[in-house]
Amino acid sequence: MKNMVCKIGNAFKELGHAFVHGDIWVKLSAIIMGAGYFGRKQFVRGVLMTVLEVGVIASIAKVFAPYMAKLNTLGTVQREEIFDILTMKKTVNDYDNSLLILLYGIIGILIVVAFIALYIGNMRAVYRLQKMQENGEHINSFKDDIASFKNENFHITLLTLPSLGVILINVIPIIFMICIAFTNYDENHQPPTYLFTWVGIKNFIALFTNSQTITFGYAFVRVLAWTLIWAVVATATTFLGGILLAQFINHEHTHFKGMWRTLFVITIGIPQFVTLLLISKMFGDYGIVNTWCANVGILDFFKNIGLLSQGAQCIPFLSQPGWAHVTIILVNIWVGVPYQMLVATGILMNIPTDQIESAKIDGANKFQTFWKITMPYVLFITGPSLIQSVIQNINNFNVIYLLTSTYQTTNMAMAGSNAKEVDLLVTWLFTLTNDYSNFKMASVIGIVTFVICAALSLLTFSRMIGGDKEEVYR
Amino acid sequence: MKKTIKSIGRHIFLAALAFVWLIPIFWLIVTTFSTQKGINTNHFFPEHWTLANYHQLFFETDAAANFPAWFKNSMIIGVCCCIISSMFVIMTAYAFSCIRFKGRKQLMSFSLILGMFPGVLSMIAMYFVLKLMGLTDSIVGLIIVYSGASGLGYLILKGFFDTIPTSLHEAAKLEGASEATIFAKIVVPLSKPMIVYTVINSFLNPWMDFMMARLMIKSKDAADWTMAIGLFNLLQRALVNQYFAIFCCGGLMVAVPISILFIVMQKFYVEGVTGGAVKG
Amino acid sequence: MKRKLVSALLVSTMAMTAFVGCGSAAEETAEPEATSETDASASESETSSEDAIANLIASTEGTVNIDLWCSETEEYQTVMKSLCDDFEAQYPDVDFNITLGAVSEADMKDRVLEDVEAAADVFVFPDDQLEALVKAGALNEVAAQYTYDMNDTDTAATVEAGQYDGKQYGYPFTASNGYFLYYDASQLSEEDVASWEALTAKAEELGKEVGCEIANGWYLYGWFQGAGCELTENEDQSNNCDWNSETGLAAAESLQSLASSKAFKSYGNDDLLANLNDGKVVAYVSGTWNVNAFSEAYGDGYAATKLPTFQVNGEDKQMASYSGYKFVGVNAYAENTGWSMLLAEYLTQATSQEAVYEATGEGPSNEEALAKASSPALDALAAQSEFAELQRVGGNYWDPAAALGKNILDGTVSQQVLDDAVAGITQAVAEAE
Repeated sequence: MKNMVCKIGNAFKELGHAFVHGDIWVKLSAIIMGAGYFGRKQFVRGVLMTVLEVGVIASIAKVFAPYMAKLNTLGTVQREEIFDILTMKKTVNDYDNSLLILLYGIIGILIVVAFIALYIGNMRAVYRLQKMQENGEHINSFKDDIASFKNENFHITLLTLPSLGVILINVIPIIFMICIAFTNYDENHQPPTYLFTWVGIKNFIALFTNSQTITFGYAFVRVLAWTLIWAVVATATTFLGGILLAQFINHEHTHFKGMWRTLFVITIGIPQFVTLLLISKMFGDYGIVNTWCANVGILDFFKNIGLLSQGAQCIPFLSQPGWAHVTIILVNIWVGVPYQMLVATGILMNIPTDQIESAKIDGANKFQTFWKITMPYVLFITGPSLIQSVIQNINNFNVIYLLTSTYQTTNMAMAGSNAKEVDLLVTWLFTLTNDYSNFKMASVIGIVTFVICAALSLLTFSRMIGGDKEEVYR
Repeated sequence: MKKTIKSIGRHIFLAALAFVWLIPIFWLIVTTFSTQKGINTNHFFPEHWTLANYHQLFFETDAAANFPAWFKNSMIIGVCCCIISSMFVIMTAYAFSCIRFKGRKQLMSFSLILGMFPGVLSMIAMYFVLKLMGLTDSIVGLIIVYSGASGLGYLILKGFFDTIPTSLHEAAKLEGASEATIFAKIVVPLSKPMIVYTVINSFLNPWMDFMMARLMIKSKDAADWTMAIGLFNLLQRALVNQYFAIFCCGGLMVAVPISILFIVMQKFYVEGVTGGAVKG
Repeated sequence: MKRKLVSALLVSTMAMTAFVGCGSAAEETAEPEATSETDASASESETSSEDAIANLIASTEGTVNIDLWCSETEEYQTVMKSLCDDFEAQYPDVDFNITLGAVSEADMKDRVLEDVEAAADVFVFPDDQLEALVKAGALNEVAAQYTYDMNDTDTAATVEAGQYDGKQYGYPFTASNGYFLYYDASQLSEEDVASWEALTAKAEELGKEVGCEIANGWYLYGWFQGAGCELTENEDQSNNCDWNSETGLAAAESLQSLASSKAFKSYGNDDLLANLNDGKVVAYVSGTWNVNAFSEAYGDGYAATKLPTFQVNGEDKQMASYSGYKFVGVNAYAENTGWSMLLAEYLTQATSQEAVYEATGEGPSNEEALAKASSPALDALAAQSEFAELQRVGGNYWDPAAALGKNILDGTVSQQVLDDAVAGITQAVAEAE
């Protein structure tokens, strides 16, 4: 943090320095950003820079400034309409839309920040050019600039588009939702008709206070616990299952490798909402599996060993806590193993064969080679992505949502805050926003989850990419 | 002799596993031939068999079901997303794996953190961002939504790139190849199996998603929907008793392009083996 | 089609409220304008609505685009399409472009509220979504009516159900969204379906199934309300509920003993249909949306009746129910409010409701149309209507009630469970600012 402040301070210092010591072209660049390049005969770059400057300033002034000005209140003019019954026309006042103010305001601020950074960078660059000219160094032509993007600046070429996409699709919406947590955007304050406004950290307090009627805190702890258990177990089971299956299919004595792989991959091919719906019907209280279990005697067996009460009419695969949790994990193995098998196949194909050969010569048996050579290798490649898949599982909406759409909780405290025992945080959030328009609490819960995940994984992640581990297998 | 028994056992085990995996698919398939249009949770096999559902699916479109149009829309979105996201993923993975530049680790940590925010929450904001650009209700908008953030999914591929020996890299550089050439001529060809996985994944995501699509596509004309919205819609209370068999047909047909894609891609897996041998 | 001449006057009381939009904040600023307008209209209060429509036609330029969202079933889409064509033919001078969209009614609120400005101008929604739609400011108030007056033509209960805070928001469309009992008359007699006790006993004897989806607050209400308990909504959308009283406990216990019968099932809609098609279910509590499924499954034996009684403390109590309605609503953000209102009126007038009844079997809310409609399902609804209540309940009801239903099915009813359920149902609504 302190580092950041220093860096920003330095940047401004350099800006001042450049301005004071620069020649006329550099000084002119403070107004027309391309001027410094014109002075060094870099015309294309100069034109591009100036066009960019004009574009950004125009867009801020025309589109974003009105919204940014209202950011502090999120709008004050509520919508009013007057319907004239004689002309049947409706007149509406010029009302504020809190949601758009917040969103456009955020985008505007991001653009301003980016522009300031660009501006400072630009001043430094033109000053550097001046110095280079004074020292008689070679100044890149436009052609050279382009060429540099294929070589020393290749990472910029590669990363520009993906980053823009991420900013548009991820960063802006995330900042927006974080802001929502500090507002009162709920059922009673829905734009465009009604306004919402800032309320500080009130919503966070509501999450952690546990009163008799507001049970958010109670539900949150339970949902969070199940979410974490689910994420770890689901990732571990599918990961191991996938590697074993891939190993099994890749074995030299297995025939028709392609056919086996295809058979498993077909299950990926059918959308989850189709297969999971069918599965939830099969495992329903009155579904095929239950009928079959009753006929074969499994139902009675469960009753006899005390897993089910004597009065039970069916096995509650997806309708009672505990049972439902296990079923969900099992079904997730069904869903996830083919994916992992695909990943593992790709990786196992490239495993250094010499290592396995030498292990064989040393007399290691199959299990030893698997645990000592294959697993570390696979873990190395997929390690960081494993964390990512834990996170994906924390946010795994489909499996839970589709499997438990008919699940009813019997726990009143859970029901009081619209949660179910089998809910993950995301599915709970979805219910809160979709059915109850409770965006503020959903955002708060989202942020808390986010902080927990971020802390956990940054710890592990920095260890994984830290040091020289990246070079091990090169 | 012992080997044959072992081999038979191995195949029987695989067959049993495959059987378990395919039960729901099998149920899906037999349900498509059912004369009963509604849902049937009590029987595995239909009582009477027919092909009429397929005929209805392909040739008798109505207000609720317009499979050919859905297929077309989804195919366009799927193919475009597949190309764009695969490129994004490969580009990001390569940049993070093979190039050392300032701020690399910070960027990687940052991208990891971004992936942790619950997506369902930001959907509304995403919708309004696209509305600002005038791209809601259009296929282009959906393509942007699905492929825009795909760069974040680079980790597996990066892990793979990390195993490509730096010696290859350096040798190419000595011969005067630019970073771009190394990327296109050396690294990408070496990574075919993982790229195949990336491609399949990029295709699947838009092909399967219904939450985002339903929010983005405002049109209520069935011809403008994607496969996932359309099929999911058939499960509504008012429709399910008339369209469940059709829904199953659709669900099965959706799997066809994926399976073809996979079978075609299979040969790259085989090449992957030799690719591994080269670097030995 | 013959052009209909309209003589209905503007509703005078409407003129007062018409100028103020929704929300109290509007009143202050709208005041000066409103008073002057009221003067103007007062002097012209004799003007017929024809003039208003004429004004509208005169001021309309270019194409009028109206989006209409209604149920995605083939029958609905077809009948609505032809009604829209008729509407267009009524005003030959105006160029219409009416687009029909298929949206599941159960999801209508969600789809509209995602982005009110992009939603349809006119849409059909069930009454339980009215509150959420009004609260989000998505519905246009019915400030005046031009072609008919719903207070004269439609049943009072329906009109009332379309109101919120004393203002009319919905145009009554159908009145058959409640529930009643379907049964197979070839296997059950009228005595059998009179009480749940007789019904379950007979079903056990037949080895068949009967039931009601108890693990769903919508149906569960009927049992407790029938037993004499109370559930009402306060102004701040919290609930009053006395289900944990002695009567409530007795009702829950007798329901529990009914539900413990092997013949009694609490199927969700999908399971119900599957078992119905298998011939297992001989009587079930459901509504008009399943009318085709039941009539096909029961064939000649197809019958419907009011809900059975059940015993509480040894007394026979008539099971109550929620009555359900569908409304046509105009979006507050509609592009052409005037034309959208006229279209909504056209879709809900007597002849249109008859057409909808013929196409879909849903009972009209218009009394004239209702008189012509007759079917076992509608007769059963009419018989049940005396015990049916308008659904007015705050959002905190549903999850705790469903949880309570699940407890009853699991056979774990106790005073404690009821107390917890009531605490959940009556919990305060998140602080109102």
